Amino acid sequence: MGSVYALIALSLVIVYNVSKVLCFAQGEFFVFGALTMIFLTGHGVPMPLGFPLSIILALLLGAVVERVLIKRVQTASIGTVITMTVAVSLFLRGAGLLIWGRESHTLPPFSSAKSLSVMGAFLPVQVLWVIGTTVLVLLVIWWFFERTLPGLAMRACAENRLAANLVGITVWKATLLAWAWGAALGALAGIVVSPLIFVQYVSGTMPMLKGFTAIAIGGLGTVGSVIAGFLLGIIEAFTVGLVSSKFADAVVFTILILVLLIRSSGRFGSSQNGGM
Amino acid sequence: MKQKGLWLAILFLLALLPVIIGRISPYYNSVLILIGIYIILAVSLDLLVGFAGQISVGHAAFFAIGAYASGILTVKKEVPPLLALVSGLIVSGIVAWIIGRAVMRLKGYYLGMATLGLNAVVVTIITGLESITGGASGLLGIPPFSLFGVALPTHFHYYYFVWAVVVMVFASCLAMVKSSLGRTLIALHSDEEAASTMGIDCPKYKLHVFVVSSMYAGLAGSLFAHYMGFIAPSDFDIFTSVILLVMLFLGGVGTIYGPALGAIFLKLLPEVTYQFQEYELFSYGLILILVIIFMPRGLLGLFTKLWQRWRGPDVSAPSLPLKSVNGEAQAE
Repeated sequence: MGSVYALIALSLVIVYNVSKVLCFAQGEFFVFGALTMIFLTGHGVPMPLGFPLSIILALLLGAVVERVLIKRVQTASIGTVITMTVAVSLFLRGAGLLIWGRESHTLPPFSSAKSLSVMGAFLPVQVLWVIGTTVLVLLVIWWFFERTLPGLAMRACAENRLAANLVGITVWKATLLAWAWGAALGALAGIVVSPLIFVQYVSGTMPMLKGFTAIAIGGLGTVGSVIAGFLLGIIEAFTVGLVSSKFADAVVFTILILVLLIRSSGRFGSSQNGGM
Repeated sequence: MKQKGLWLAILFLLALLPVIIGRISPYYNSVLILIGIYIILAVSLDLLVGFAGQISVGHAAFFAIGAYASGILTVKKEVPPLLALVSGLIVSGIVAWIIGRAVMRLKGYYLGMATLGLNAVVVTIITGLESITGGASGLLGIPPFSLFGVALPTHFHYYYFVWAVVVMVFASCLAMVKSSLGRTLIALHSDEEAASTMGIDCPKYKLHVFVVSSMYAGLAGSLFAHYMGFIAPSDFDIFTSVILLVMLFLGGVGTIYGPALGAIFLKLLPEVTYQFQEYELFSYGLILILVIIFMPRGLLGLFTKLWQRWRGPDVSAPSLPLKSVNGEAQAE
């Protein structure tokens, strides 16, 4: 699960850094990706085709959400922006209910349903897919932001929107791209993990909260949030093993609140200028 | 004088409503009770979000604390409901004070994330503590409310009690907003640094309003527990907090009247459209999006505008005390 949290945290970070909006609807992209993939493969589309298709659909969805909705509240107060992303989340969730119903869905594993025995613990083969995909995606993203022009432009926007605009970067395009990337990443996380869990139209909340926790721990840098995501997965696994599965979520979210508090008390010096 | 007349008329109407509507079907009385409970929730959230400008995506956490405090005390300890209600009020106030001291230092997105997390923690803990709270399957057999040993057996009776509380909460919120405290909060909302410079102890007032708002939410929780007779963690999850935000923005943030209007509207909507239940979530989302984009001052703003147009431009509109949160870029 650590990889999934890492991916979601990363998608939140990309969207936030470029557009300065923390998206409370990121979990819905996760669900959207998973359910689209399940729907497509359920209707005879082969997996290698369904995979990119779901991602592209999520990409478009993210772009549309940014263009049509988020752009309109860019200048409003943070409270309004948060409520807007919450509204988007409700809307997408409602749409999910209408399209896919209340049932839980799952996807057959990508390759084999067998489990490997690693040092005495059983590991479904799908886990390897999850980790493999995550690593691959992280490499691609690193390449994109370090080596390509659009990626560098997006980083420039993250640094300083006005300055980026002045040197001729089309800020709105970068913002749009960030949302598309963010949605695609969220969807990707949903797709790779969907053979391991049951996905329902309301499944997005928990992964999103874990993503928040990851960025709270790791900060808003790409590397930090990814590491924190993995770390969180491990913490969670240990809590389930050592304490109780009932309280694992409570432990994780208590960490969220505690970390936020430690950060706000000035150690990382971010509370003074409001926002993040 | 005119305002007083209006208030009397509204009170009179509220008193008559269950007699008239209850004739048609007693079911409507229970709908009215639920509306009342949600008005308390929405109005108390408005104190926090609309006036003090502190976003909360976890108001239902205190709704839950009040409900469970009241429920557990009456079921397991057989405490009289009125005492349980007061304890619920106090417990949520204490919890809010402890948590608020820490959480209210946060701002913007951090605050949003923390309150969301808080809601998740409370729901998970309630679900986990099966022996006390009944876990995911809920707490059963909460007795109906009674006052000094006199039971309020039907929803018809309970309606009067709930709405008496609603009127008190509403009036106290209005009074609070118009007092110097209200003006302090508005100052704090529009520019915290400037407010501190003027000598306002911002953390103190933020904590103050957080506690008051949470106590009202706890009160609503107690009322809810005795009304339902059965409570489950799913009644208080993040979705409930989100719905409260919808009510707030739909009615008009920072107006007290607006959120009450939003609560009435949003609780009546499913009664009219119950055959389209699958569309409920979708339409809530759509309503919220449309309201934020097209009616930043909510239904109340819309009504005021229409009223002004109807009365002609020279008559001053019923005074809306405040600017709304929307459309004002906070200097951050």
